[in-house]
Amino acid sequence: MDCHNKSPEVQVGKDTLKFLLMGNPNVGKSVVFSKLTGVEVLAANYTGTTVGYTKGKIRNLKKEGILIDVPGTYGLEATSEAEEVAVSFVKEGADAIICVLDATNLERNLNFALQLKKFDIPMIFVLNLVDVAEQQGVIIDSEALAKELDAPVIPTVAVRNVGLRELITVMEKVGKRQKEVCYTAEKELVEEEETRWKEIGRIVEKVQTLVEREPSFTEKLGYVSMQPWPGIPLAILVLVLVLGFVVGGGKAIRGVLLLPFVYNVYEPAMTAFIGGFITEGTIFYNVLVGDYGVLIKIIEWPFALVLPYITLFYIALSILEDSGYLPRIGVLMDGALRKIGVQGGSIVPFIMGYGCAIPAILGSKAATTHKERVIVASLVSLAVPCTAQTAAFFVLLGDESIWMLVGVYGLSILAMIIGGSVLNRMLPGKVDPMLLEIPNLLKPDVKTVVQKIKIRVKHYLVEAQIPMALGILFAAIIAETGLIHGISDFLSPVVTGWLGLPGEAGLALMLGIVRRELAVLPLLDMNLTSLQIFTGATVALFYLPCLSVLAILIKEFKLKTGLAIAGTTLVAAFLIGGAINQTVRFISSIL
Amino acid sequence: MSLYAIKKEHRCIIENLPKIGLLKSLGLREGINVAIKSKQPMGGPVIVQVGRRCVAIAQDIAKDIQVREVN
Repeated sequence: MDCHNKSPEVQVGKDTLKFLLMGNPNVGKSVVFSKLTGVEVLAANYTGTTVGYTKGKIRNLKKEGILIDVPGTYGLEATSEAEEVAVSFVKEGADAIICVLDATNLERNLNFALQLKKFDIPMIFVLNLVDVAEQQGVIIDSEALAKELDAPVIPTVAVRNVGLRELITVMEKVGKRQKEVCYTAEKELVEEEETRWKEIGRIVEKVQTLVEREPSFTEKLGYVSMQPWPGIPLAILVLVLVLGFVVGGGKAIRGVLLLPFVYNVYEPAMTAFIGGFITEGTIFYNVLVGDYGVLIKIIEWPFALVLPYITLFYIALSILEDSGYLPRIGVLMDGALRKIGVQGGSIVPFIMGYGCAIPAILGSKAATTHKERVIVASLVSLAVPCTAQTAAFFVLLGDESIWMLVGVYGLSILAMIIGGSVLNRMLPGKVDPMLLEIPNLLKPDVKTVVQKIKIRVKHYLVEAQIPMALGILFAAIIAETGLIHGISDFLSPVVTGWLGLPGEAGLALMLGIVRRELAVLPLLDMNLTSLQIFTGATVALFYLPCLSVLAILIKEFKLKTGLAIAGTTLVAAFLIGGAINQTVRFISSIL
Repeated sequence: MSLYAIKKEHRCIIENLPKIGLLKSLGLREGINVAIKSKQPMGGPVIVQVGRRCVAIAQDIAKDIQVREVN
């Protein structure tokens, strides 16, 4: 039998040591990976964060070595996509496997460890989360465990760097191997199941001591947060607090700090500076510092208007992710979400979608069926505004009336319910019943959370700025050269006739293709009526996801499905936006 | 009786369970003693404590798990 098919084929140099990092889902592999390699990966306290694989060069190791973060799996029987990836990595061989074990859940983790040992590759065990285990009254004798497993066992608290130095010391002793790994494990693994569980029972009996402990505050909170009462009101409270934090905090930072700086300091200075070179009133002057002046908008829009909300949202999201609270909301919502064709667990990609649709669509890989994945990705693309767009909504709608904001978000939820129900009936296939491990509720580690927020904000600053800048430059040229009038005339049957917006709003629709917030921001300076603002916001909400999202959709779901999702959002945007405009106008005309 | 029929905070021993690989991986096996921690509304899952961890099990699956109550 050829056991090297489907290999991910990671090529390493002749003298480079290859380490695989493996373990059950949500045991802290990605944290160990970041700490050992310095490669920034986003970890979270729930299963299935790592869906592809990442590799990185190991720091602080005297020899050359690379580490591969293999997706977490419960077994090696190749029954799911993640397990197939894991199995193929093992078959490809390595100089050593670092297997991360969760000390709070030794039995189940040993099931994986013993399966892995069958492959005859040197092993190093990392017994992670020993601090949480101790709080729960689980004491594990790591020396006895090392004897049983016949391999080094290093107790660690990876998020706080405890034990990592010892891990590196053990890794130094690993040598280069020439041996081929070729092992038809799957069949034997199934046959051996009974004896394996007996063996696990024996080891656990020997190395683990349970002490009765009064449940800690977080444990009690973890318990009540998954009861319908008071869990559901608690979830609503958390949501309201997060919204208040992001909306209120963002508005404060923007109003007190950033906008005065842009309007009172930056804009006059820039205008004066440009005025020193170029005559006021010329086209070139207007493109740079006029109404749509690129040098003004490129600071005002992304930094003064959007950045405060992005930062605050990612602070809230990162804390929630690392606390292990999100899957609890998924459990509470499972009954309701099932009606729109998704499992409770898929609430996580939806919440991520309020940050950015790209990680949400990638994260939907954790869904167990293709149908569910398509539903999650479609609904996120259609009706979940990303933070940048949300920020733009806060500015456009929140300044008008808080009820308009509530209205647009109500519309977004309604669209998800209707869209989900339709897709659930339309798409073939099924949605698997929920079977999900609920993570321990943990107090998030400040350093890790700060690191995550940094990665995400940096990502916004780096990835978003180039399309944003090009979009703004394009807008400035069109608006200031008068080209906008031609475009307005061309789009006017739709924009003015059907949607009831002024002709210039066509600009927002054109820019919205590039980035979602650009479908909203140009509306700010147009002196719109309340109805026009609401219509504009509705169109922007459902309108095409940005170019990067379209690229991800096509990459993940092939051209046809990707374009179908994008096309549907476009049609929905014009239909719903126009329907609102026409209905309100009709009602007010007969009143 | 089925796991879904067990009341909250009651314990039971699993006697028979459907052939779903993930169930075993999550620590649910024959002869294991589990406690029901909560039942979710609208046909949602039951939450079962296995060892120190909690697992959410959909109604459909929970109904197929045969158990013996041990309170």
